[in-house]
Amino acid sequence: MLRMDGFVYRHASSWEEALALWRSAPGAQYVAGGTDLLPNLKHGLFAPKLLVGIGGIPGGVRREADGIVISAATRLDDLAADPTIRELLAPLGQAAALVASPQIRTMATLGGNVMLDTRCMYYNQTLFWRQALGYCLKAEGTWCHVVGGPKTCVASQSSDTVPVLLALGARLRLVGPEGRRELGIRELYQYNGMDHLRLTAGELLTEVVVPAPGAGFRGSYTKLRTRDSIDFPQLGLAVCGQWEGSTPRALEIVVGAVSPQPKLVRGLDAFLGAPLDDVAVAAIADLVHKQTRPQGSVHGDSNWRRQMAAVFTRRALGAMRG
Amino acid sequence: MKSLLTLRVNGESLSLAVPESWTLLEALRYGAGLTGSKQGCDKGDCGACTVLLGGKPVLSCLTLAHSVRGEVTTIEGLATPAGPDPVQRAFDVCGALQCGFCQPGMILSARALLNRVGKPTDGEIREALSGNLCRCTGYTKIFEAVRMAADGCERHVPVRYGTPSTGFDVIGARGRKADSIHKATGEAVYTDDIQLPRMAHGKILRSPHAHARILSIDTTGAEALPGVFAVMTGVDLPTAYCIIPWTPDETALAVGKVRYVGEGVAAVAAVDEETANRAIQAIKVEYEPLPIVKDAEAAIAPGAPLVHELDWKGRPWADNVCKEVDLRFGDVEAGFANADAVVENRWFYEGSTHAAIEPHCAIGQWSADHKLTVWSATQVSHYLHRELAKVLGVGAQDVRVIQPVVGGAFGGKSEPFDLEFCVAVLSKKAGRPVKILYTREEVFYAHRGRHPMDMAFRVGGTKDGRITAVESDILIDGGAYHSFGLVTTYYAGQLLTGPVGFENYHFRSRRVYTNKPCCGPKRGHGSVQPRFAFECAVDELAERLELDPIELRRKNMVTAGERTVNGLLVTSSGIAECLDAVERASAWKSRRGKLPYGRGLGVAASMYISGTAYPIYPNEMPQSGVMLRADRSGKITVFCGANDIGQGSDGMLAYIVAEETGVSPEDITVVSGDTELTPVDLGSYSSRVTFMAGIAAQEAGRTMGTALRNAVAGLWQVHVDRVAKGLGVYSDREDPARSISARDALILAEAAAGTPLVSAGGYRTRKVGGEYRGGTIGASPAYSATAHVCEVSVDAETGIVRVEKVWAAHDCGRALNPQLVEGQIEGSVYMGYAEALMEAHTFDERGLHSGPNLLDYRIPTSMESPDFIAQIVESIDPGGPYGAKEAGEGPLHPVIPAIANAIADAVGVRLRRIPFTPDRVLAAIRAGRS
Repeated sequence: MLRMDGFVYRHASSWEEALALWRSAPGAQYVAGGTDLLPNLKHGLFAPKLLVGIGGIPGGVRREADGIVISAATRLDDLAADPTIRELLAPLGQAAALVASPQIRTMATLGGNVMLDTRCMYYNQTLFWRQALGYCLKAEGTWCHVVGGPKTCVASQSSDTVPVLLALGARLRLVGPEGRRELGIRELYQYNGMDHLRLTAGELLTEVVVPAPGAGFRGSYTKLRTRDSIDFPQLGLAVCGQWEGSTPRALEIVVGAVSPQPKLVRGLDAFLGAPLDDVAVAAIADLVHKQTRPQGSVHGDSNWRRQMAAVFTRRALGAMRG
Repeated sequence: MKSLLTLRVNGESLSLAVPESWTLLEALRYGAGLTGSKQGCDKGDCGACTVLLGGKPVLSCLTLAHSVRGEVTTIEGLATPAGPDPVQRAFDVCGALQCGFCQPGMILSARALLNRVGKPTDGEIREALSGNLCRCTGYTKIFEAVRMAADGCERHVPVRYGTPSTGFDVIGARGRKADSIHKATGEAVYTDDIQLPRMAHGKILRSPHAHARILSIDTTGAEALPGVFAVMTGVDLPTAYCIIPWTPDETALAVGKVRYVGEGVAAVAAVDEETANRAIQAIKVEYEPLPIVKDAEAAIAPGAPLVHELDWKGRPWADNVCKEVDLRFGDVEAGFANADAVVENRWFYEGSTHAAIEPHCAIGQWSADHKLTVWSATQVSHYLHRELAKVLGVGAQDVRVIQPVVGGAFGGKSEPFDLEFCVAVLSKKAGRPVKILYTREEVFYAHRGRHPMDMAFRVGGTKDGRITAVESDILIDGGAYHSFGLVTTYYAGQLLTGPVGFENYHFRSRRVYTNKPCCGPKRGHGSVQPRFAFECAVDELAERLELDPIELRRKNMVTAGERTVNGLLVTSSGIAECLDAVERASAWKSRRGKLPYGRGLGVAASMYISGTAYPIYPNEMPQSGVMLRADRSGKITVFCGANDIGQGSDGMLAYIVAEETGVSPEDITVVSGDTELTPVDLGSYSSRVTFMAGIAAQEAGRTMGTALRNAVAGLWQVHVDRVAKGLGVYSDREDPARSISARDALILAEAAAGTPLVSAGGYRTRKVGGEYRGGTIGASPAYSATAHVCEVSVDAETGIVRVEKVWAAHDCGRALNPQLVEGQIEGSVYMGYAEALMEAHTFDERGLHSGPNLLDYRIPTSMESPDFIAQIVESIDPGGPYGAKEAGEGPLHPVIPAIANAIADAVGVRLRRIPFTPDRVLAAIRAGRS
């Protein structure tokens, strides 16, 4: 069995306690559900001396003036089943319900999904395997085997909930050594697989705030994967909009699992205010195709994944416009 | 750092001192001794470790033990003193357990679902179990069990509950497996569940190079580590071995050279696994990397580096071709000349692996009088016994091999592996028992899975539907060693000649060495790949000849009593009934070729051996032996060396002995797979066990039954013919009111004998096969027959193929227990489906595996696995026990070509390379349109 070694575990009951524990040991890491961190520890990707457990902090969903507030500690299965989410933010619940397997959704939290480390077929492997490879740019090496170069790591942001949260314009409440702050989720990610989160050391995500969608909100999340369970996305497509009949008043499309940074599709404003006919749908699909550049960090032919972004877009819009 | 952990488990408080880096799974298994929770993948990809936390299913392998705050329920906590949980009972009754290794987790997921939703829909069941991978069942009987549990399942159900075949008391009845309730409750003991006093843990250091010379190994760093008991390298065991005794080209650990990434180089034993891991890191190996042979094509390229310089007799290899077979039957050129159409093409089969959920595990222990015991998750305890004695240089009489319950094998545990030799040496050096448990990654390197094959085929036929000639040229990528390769190379041609026969045949097959983990036998050894090519070619031929594909197959059937073109004697065949059954069930005539674009039906047929005619090493002794010991307590114990790897051979032995003796199955215990206690059976490979151990059990049972009836006749002072055998009872044919229980009859018989009541039976080699060099390879005392129709839908925009349904008709001779036969059919079809659509055991230019774990090597979940409709055809073989033949491997063969042929029906493209991934399908559709 792959074993872990060399760290101690401390259980935190609040964000403040977690932060205090983190400060107590340099290089400490937080663990919530542990469904991504533990495999990474077993693979020898990190060697923290202290793990700060934040999985015991209460989760939950509540309404506030500026939107729907979701505790980062909310379990993905609770999120998917939450009545408020189902009523107001259906695509988010849909995405949460498509993460990995039932057991992992029971354990994993929304915060963990947002903060998920980037993934790559050359990175998420055992220490032995990576030694045999000669390591990679993201861990202990100097070469990215995906792009074949020493400069850019293209490990993929592979969360299912993230494209939806970007499309919904969610805001993140963070607490860290420097205090509290709020950050738009679109500002969180950058195109660097080795360091894809714009965070300061020790910062914790405490809450995700999603603006309450207005009347006429329709949205969906489509996931491409080999198996209908367990697998990470080969591509995730979120489409969210405000609609009047078949006319979009607002429209956002985000493509996930293609690169270190989820891709917010630009140029959709041109399609607002008029009924979305087949020509427009095809044009949007074409736009998505042009702007989606899947990296080979994720399994499956990259060109095919790119084509699927267009197919998924066409199908999602086709269903959504009624 | 160890610290005190307090857990609430199954209603009790547990206090354990365990390291803070331990997972809940480690704490339960190795701390609390609750070994019902299993470990399959190391890291959350398989679900075998599922427990309930606060009533919800979680992965205990990804839960830090010290983070747990709620109530934990493990499989041991489900049963009450009143009996097992209804879910456990339903799994037992429905035959939902084969190897049982995934089932504790599966049952807990099902329990959580039923607690949440009383009467779940089929979709909810699939979804709830979708994080629990099962490799044996194809999920069909698991779904059935969950539905049964939801409907209310008694805690107590009789051992047998079906109706036997006419004229039998037990044979033919649907029944539970002998051990399934133990598996369902977590009682069954698998190798890693065994903890011996003072036991040390071993680890094997593996080569990061695919091909390199070993210049030096410095083990001093490991030896100096506190807690390290023993270190070994290849020079400790230089004797070469191979499961096939003619080709010993492998050593326990590499000597002089490494030939694939992951090959063992050194091994250590230490106080715990963590220390052993540190110790292997402290061993310094100096390598001189060599150019690698990455695949079969590279292996035969002029000037290719040699994977092996010398063979086992010290003769230099001229090239990397380690075995070549070239056989001709009839006049192929004349056959093609007579053909009205010839299909000629190349097919490619990508390698695949077994992926049994239980990783290999072995424990070695030496006694004070220098006798070795090895417990191992093996499916060939007898061959392991022989090879251990040979390689260790000790007498076979000083070696004992015990096979605990095995968590799936499928051919992946059918020869000796490095860990079995290493635990023997390390435990001797350390002076204490040593266990080695593979990581999932190591299982991928051990491999011995299905060979990649590049297959050129020509198939010719006439307008009236005769297949006149078949010619093939097959290049087989063997990996670094021989394994069963000699046999594989023959099987690639020899097993193709029925049930769809042909008049003239030429095949050439070449197996080459490459710098990759060694390939070997996976369910349907050697013949699944050419079957894919051939059955696709036959489908294309039917199209060219404008014949219905089922009709073309019918016109060429090899029927009972006939010999195939290469001389295999077909003693029985239900192929006609199989084709009829799937044609009818799929509404083939009204639907095939007539479904809307994107939906299609495809057919394929196959046959498979019921055991190899001859043992792997030539000898005149029985290939299987069964001993019975009756006891005045009213029971019979069956001793047989056969390896139950989940297929249910222990139950099969019990049913046969029950049938022959009249003793109820519940009064029969089976002791198997222990070389000290049981007579030799050669092991669970080549679909031989039901046929051969079945014959042996029949013979032993018959002798015992006669003794019992004679004793009863003596008591009643009547002729023995008047004593009629029932189930658990003997009665007087002429005075039905007079009867005696079988339990009492056992006492009578022991008294009459004046000795303990014992009997024995054996399966003796029957001379079959063709009269030519190689004519005995592929020869079998009986052949099963199979036909499948698959229905697929193909999304022409995405290329995604969904297999909607598989109708699988299989002729297994007599079904001794139809429930187990169905399980074998369903499991086989599942495995073929997986190979067709998603599995690919691939390597990069460095010879590095593309993802040796169960997240990257995807095996199907309960969500996408199709509906399998298993249909049993009983041809009643004249030589099998009660007419039985094999069922465990044959039904896999037609799946891949039937899916390919269905895709052709759906979207008009022929796929000749597996797996049929969506990008390939989409590219083929687009190429077909342009």
